[in-house]
Amino acid sequence: MRLDDLPGELLMWVLILSELLVFAAGITVMAALRLRDPTGFAEAQALLDGRLAALNTVILVSSGYAAARAERAAARSRKRAARLGLGLAGLGGLAFLGLKAVEYAGDWQRGISMEASPFFTFYYLLTGFHAAHVIAGVALLALVAWRARPDAVQAGAMFWHMVDLVWVLILPPIYLLG
Amino acid sequence: MDALTKTWLWLLALVLGTVALAQGAGPLAGAGLLALAALKARAILGQFLHLAGAPGWLPAVMTPLLLWLALIGMLSAL
Repeated sequence: MRLDDLPGELLMWVLILSELLVFAAGITVMAALRLRDPTGFAEAQALLDGRLAALNTVILVSSGYAAARAERAAARSRKRAARLGLGLAGLGGLAFLGLKAVEYAGDWQRGISMEASPFFTFYYLLTGFHAAHVIAGVALLALVAWRARPDAVQAGAMFWHMVDLVWVLILPPIYLLG
Repeated sequence: MDALTKTWLWLLALVLGTVALAQGAGPLAGAGLLALAALKARAILGQFLHLAGAPGWLPAVMTPLLLWLALIGMLSAL
């Protein structure tokens, strides 16, 4: 196992692992706080719409697939196909954000704010921080699509897969584990 | 069908499994949901992020990830 074996830029891996650690720390604190008030956390969690979260997971993994295809196309100097893949990945990101906005709007209409309970403080912080990464990812995908250079497209796709990876890991503790 | 498409379909199947298992309750369902999350993470890391082709790196990343998921599972079950 050597650093040279890692695909892509080493700095991207430092970023990916750092982000995983940040989200893991947030989820761990949330899970530990749940021990003090399991009933309150379960009642709060039951108010969330898991169907939208599931649909967003389908959108994000499909978007990751488009980014992976873009990376492969760029490596084969097929710039048009790479841009198409990046465009589809970016559209997936925008769809994810749109659904998240619908979910937040529904939460707010029901009076669920960040101060509603400790669970919702973590819910908004973690999903909001993740959504900020989605916004950054969409911008990055658009940026690397400009020239569609293989190394840049790979870096953009790696960032996008990190966003995807974080989502599949934070989904169960936030939405599903009661 | 190429490896990327297989990975995507596998991920969609895992999402469907998650939706089905989310209807259940209790520690067993919770463990299953975390196991599905681990499988999704492995697919993304191994195929989309190409760690499957980097000798030793996939287990090096997955091992701490699995330990963390086990910790979350234990905290949720308490």
